Amino acid sequence: MSEELKTGFLARAGVALAKALAYTIMIVFTVMTLYPIVWLIINSFKTTQEFQVSQLGFPKEPTFQNYTLAWEFGDFGKLFPNSLIYTIGATAGIIVLSLLAGFAFAKIKSRATKPIYASFVIGILLTVNTLMIPLFLEMTLLGLYDTRLAVLLVYIGAGLPTGVYLATEFIKGIPTALVESARIDGAGFFRIFWKIILPMAAPVATTLAILNITGIWNEFALINILVSKTELKSLPLGIFKFSGSLSTDYGKQFAALTIGMAPMLIFYMVFRKQITKGVAAGAVKG
Amino acid sequence: MARMKHVDREEGRAYWMMVLPAFLIYLLVMAFPIILSAVLSVSDYSGGKMFGGERWGFAGFGQYARVFADPFFWNAFKNNMYVVLISVFGQLPLGFIFAYIIYRRLVKWPDFWQTVLYVPNIISIIVVGLLWQTIFSPNGPIGEIMNNMYRHDFQEQLRAILGPASGFTVTDSMVRRILELAGPAGASQFGDPFPELKSLILSFGTSGPDGYQQLVDGLTNLFVQKWSPQFLNKPDVAMLPVLFVILWMYTGMYLILFLANMQKIDTQIIESARIDGAREGQVMRYIILPSLSGTVVNSAILAISGSLSSFALIFAMTGGGPSRVTEIISIYMYNNAFLGRPNFALANAIALITVAISFLLIMLTKALEKRFGGKEE
Repeated sequence: MSEELKTGFLARAGVALAKALAYTIMIVFTVMTLYPIVWLIINSFKTTQEFQVSQLGFPKEPTFQNYTLAWEFGDFGKLFPNSLIYTIGATAGIIVLSLLAGFAFAKIKSRATKPIYASFVIGILLTVNTLMIPLFLEMTLLGLYDTRLAVLLVYIGAGLPTGVYLATEFIKGIPTALVESARIDGAGFFRIFWKIILPMAAPVATTLAILNITGIWNEFALINILVSKTELKSLPLGIFKFSGSLSTDYGKQFAALTIGMAPMLIFYMVFRKQITKGVAAGAVKG
Repeated sequence: MARMKHVDREEGRAYWMMVLPAFLIYLLVMAFPIILSAVLSVSDYSGGKMFGGERWGFAGFGQYARVFADPFFWNAFKNNMYVVLISVFGQLPLGFIFAYIIYRRLVKWPDFWQTVLYVPNIISIIVVGLLWQTIFSPNGPIGEIMNNMYRHDFQEQLRAILGPASGFTVTDSMVRRILELAGPAGASQFGDPFPELKSLILSFGTSGPDGYQQLVDGLTNLFVQKWSPQFLNKPDVAMLPVLFVILWMYTGMYLILFLANMQKIDTQIIESARIDGAREGQVMRYIILPSLSGTVVNSAILAISGSLSSFALIFAMTGGGPSRVTEIISIYMYNNAFLGRPNFALANAIALITVAISFLLIMLTKALEKRFGGKEE
């Protein structure tokens, strides 16, 4: 009896210790994760002069001036709409084209499916960043350098391998009988796609939207080599203007970084459940 | 029969109308650049109009030899490997520990930790790069934190030597001990240290707590050198902050991956094992780890392909500097194409080498899958 009590006590002590350790780990890393971000936001309300004297602590007289200056200097008024166009346009393109191809691969028999589908799957690990130099030359050759079309095409092409893979695997799970009975009723494939597949594919479309919205909004490497005109630039390119010789104008830089960070943070706060689910579903390697 | 043919034709037309838009864009963005880069890498093309401009033609495989003979290529390759190592041996284990803690409910509010630790993934890489560049810069907060700590420490020791503010008198041994505390760097500020420091201390007029505090502050300012952090501008250590930021940024993603796959494990298996007397360590060893082996392999492959494609973080944080030590392959390629006199042939050779590495990786994946069995999903 007393033996049993003793092991019970030890077990409970062990659990308490494990919990204390677990909380310590989680709190330390949470602070490490959030502190730089909070520090950035706090310091974006200091003048550069105040920042140079004191990098820690709160601003003595919070100023909003950094934001107005950064907004003007970075041309964010122009870049915000651009980022929206690229993100929404390319994401919509990826979803529609992936679902169409996925439907064909999953539900229409063809000898072409095997090689074409396989080529998409290979593309999942073949990241487009690797190809930025030939892409730049290709778009120049086609006369598409410095156009929105080039950016949209590249973003769509980059998103297709994962998109087609996820869409095909998802649509494979939709009962073929549904498609066949609609065929017998005389429905065409596009009608079946529109009436049956599209409504049922909402979960995979959501996953693709989540993955691509965050990825494209933040994308830098490719758009950096595809456009040079301010009228076509996206937000990350505008933020990059605050590096180099300007990086010591801290007040303005911090405001620009906060402006760059805010939209996705808000998006994340609203859709965090869907985002974490989508990330887990989208981490495929083919 | 005729009707069947008709149906077949309709089916075929629908098939291609659905597949071709995606396939053509895919070819344009992924396949054609690879071919273009294969052609240009063995050419003497040097920019400008590709057709109707300066003539260019076959120039042999010299660019590949140049890349492999270039120490900067191998340095960049080595840095890519560091990125892979920090992912596989840093992000993965940490992400696993976080996921395990949340999954086994060792902490409350599972959603909170998961949400917060994923935040860095959501922020633009350019923002992350520039933010940490400032944090690690000589003007950043690390300097102030360290200096505050060091000053505080120095003042404690100084007060211990000086004794309490009330009844304070300057003695020779006190001056000697302060000199010792200041060290050779402090002493070197004087021509004749001992008498000069003594008269300096006496000149403060140590009447009352105000004078005492002035003396402490004055001596601290005199002897404590302001340390300014040198991380990103020192070639021998510059890669460390970069790796730290990569760890900071992506660990949350592996937390999400591991947690999502742990949650697929049937909880009844774990519960009945616990009832049968299995210890927590045994649950981990025999239930959780085996069912995640696929995820581990998967994550490692994502880490490798991610390292080959990463560009923006280092581009923003260091630009590959100082003196090119933090270049990774993508930045090495970019610099060869766009900095100074562009060498597109060389840059395309690098692109193709990276593509070849990617293909090797894909084959490695297939081999690993056969070996460990693709249990994940």
